[in-house]
Amino acid sequence: MSLDSVDKVLDFAIAKEEEAAQFYNDLAVKMGRKGMKEVFEGFAREEMGHMAKLMAVKEGKQLHASGAKVMDLKIGETVSDVQPSGDLSYQQALIIAMKAEKAAFKLYLDLAGTTDDPALKELFLSLAQEEAKHKLRFEIEYDDEILTEN
Amino acid sequence: MSDKPKRKPLDLRRREMPKQAPEVRSHNFNEVALGYTAQTAVEEAKRCIQCPKPKCVSNCPVEINIPGFIKCIAEGNFAEGARVLKDKNCLPAVCGRVCPQEEQCEETCVLVKKEGQIAVGRLERFLADWEAAQGELEIPPMELPTGKKVAVVGGGPAGLTVAGDLIKLGHKVTIFEALHKMGGVLIYGIPEFRLPKAIVSREVEYLGSLGVEIVTDFVVGKTRKIDSLLDEYDAIFIGSGAGLPWFMDIPGENLNGVYSANEYLTRMNLMKGFSFPEYHTPIKSHKRVAVMGGGNVAMDCARTALRLGAEARIMYRRSKQELPARLEEIENAEEEGVIFEFLTLPLRYIGNENGWVKEIECLRMELGEPDSSGRRRPIPVEGSNFTLPMDAVICAIGNSPNPLIASTTPGLEMGKKGNIEADEETGQTSRERIWAGGDIVTGAATVILAMGAGRKAARSIHEYLCTH
Repeated sequence: MSLDSVDKVLDFAIAKEEEAAQFYNDLAVKMGRKGMKEVFEGFAREEMGHMAKLMAVKEGKQLHASGAKVMDLKIGETVSDVQPSGDLSYQQALIIAMKAEKAAFKLYLDLAGTTDDPALKELFLSLAQEEAKHKLRFEIEYDDEILTEN
Repeated sequence: MSDKPKRKPLDLRRREMPKQAPEVRSHNFNEVALGYTAQTAVEEAKRCIQCPKPKCVSNCPVEINIPGFIKCIAEGNFAEGARVLKDKNCLPAVCGRVCPQEEQCEETCVLVKKEGQIAVGRLERFLADWEAAQGELEIPPMELPTGKKVAVVGGGPAGLTVAGDLIKLGHKVTIFEALHKMGGVLIYGIPEFRLPKAIVSREVEYLGSLGVEIVTDFVVGKTRKIDSLLDEYDAIFIGSGAGLPWFMDIPGENLNGVYSANEYLTRMNLMKGFSFPEYHTPIKSHKRVAVMGGGNVAMDCARTALRLGAEARIMYRRSKQELPARLEEIENAEEEGVIFEFLTLPLRYIGNENGWVKEIECLRMELGEPDSSGRRRPIPVEGSNFTLPMDAVICAIGNSPNPLIASTTPGLEMGKKGNIEADEETGQTSRERIWAGGDIVTGAATVILAMGAGRKAARSIHEYLCTH
């Protein structure tokens, strides 16, 4: 799909969020522990929330990148990759989420670099900033819940 | 002239507790703090103004009658003081040493506003040690046998408290401990120089003298499962702690010389690695040791490594102000020569050709602007990478519960961190006749909180046993 219009970009982004929600729902099904099932179901709900926000944008609501840079704790960059298989720990769940949001951020940043259309460029940068916020949300949870003594 | 009696002026001078000198203690494993003399204890106790509504009691997780035992010390009646203390606390010598009183009873002392709060922990320790020095421990009044049997899984602070409370109420109690010694984290986790093991053994012997049956080398979940124990016991309390270490999930953590704090401290405290060949499990001697984390466990690891002759370094992502360890332990570590690397994040451990760690690559951090929660979070400083030569790394960033019991007990509900879900007030789990408390429920916390959870669970188990 060529991303040469605002609608196409938004459809792409909406599909990505839906895909992410499905990924977390699939992981939730595989978890043996109730607590971890709930964690992944929660992540899936958040992705559906992002999807709803983008659908609202498609219906005419504005999505603007605020000028302010989103804080980046860079925790996602320093931890090793986790293979999403078997029963996962809470720490591994957060690592998966941080890395997924980082990948999405990078995708939109790269896409912004591929277009000269100012409207599309701004949309990609706005989407990238949204993903950066999502990553920060998981990094803060990791900082508060896992790195309590560090 | 007024007849009103003159009020005694407040004595705001907290009596210091003598300690081994830093240059001496950094070369031995003997206890750092030496305890009050009777004279100092009486002086300190006399400073207590005996508040009519003492806030120290309400801020104590096991509700010890603090003004009560302090009054006894002030009057020189140590035997009665020990009785008052042990009425609510079956591990006073332990709590007097390792409880964070500065965040609990001492924090709410009315004299704290004038920086003269009563040294409750030191007085508690004094009484427990005084009683032990008298020889025979006094057996408290016991209820008649009820014929009910309770299994306690785990011989740490929560399990010991449950056992102590239920045996006095007439129930038959058996503690199943996975290791070869009782005490849990008190034995394998906290070093000798902070909590001598003889003290823990003494407290365990006291429970034995009350009639608690103790079974060691028994791994519940493997040797026998919870459901099998339920065939024999009327109720079960799970207090198996948080023994599963967290790692940072960074490259190089599988290299030789990279330990979890659990492994390192167990080798030193339980297996007495520092006394090889008197004990049989040696530990490799390291020259430069980095400890990841800033809590009490990290301080314990660094101070242990230092005593074995290493240059010990604490590496912490945040600044000194955010260190979660007790102030007393931070000061002790600094005095002994532990080096602190604040605002430092390890990125990876680099190994030599034989697979042993040889250096760490780190990044400097800076604290960002306060976020919506008001916290200033550490953010990496781009391009500030540096390496430090190191031949051992100890990861002390936290623990979660071992999943063995939960994974072998159908229907026992678990939280996201692998903790057992239990009612905060009663310790009742999702399974009938099974209670849980301490670190297995809360994640790694303090000894006194585990004891508080044990006390609540014991109360609930007793109520259940009396009505079923």
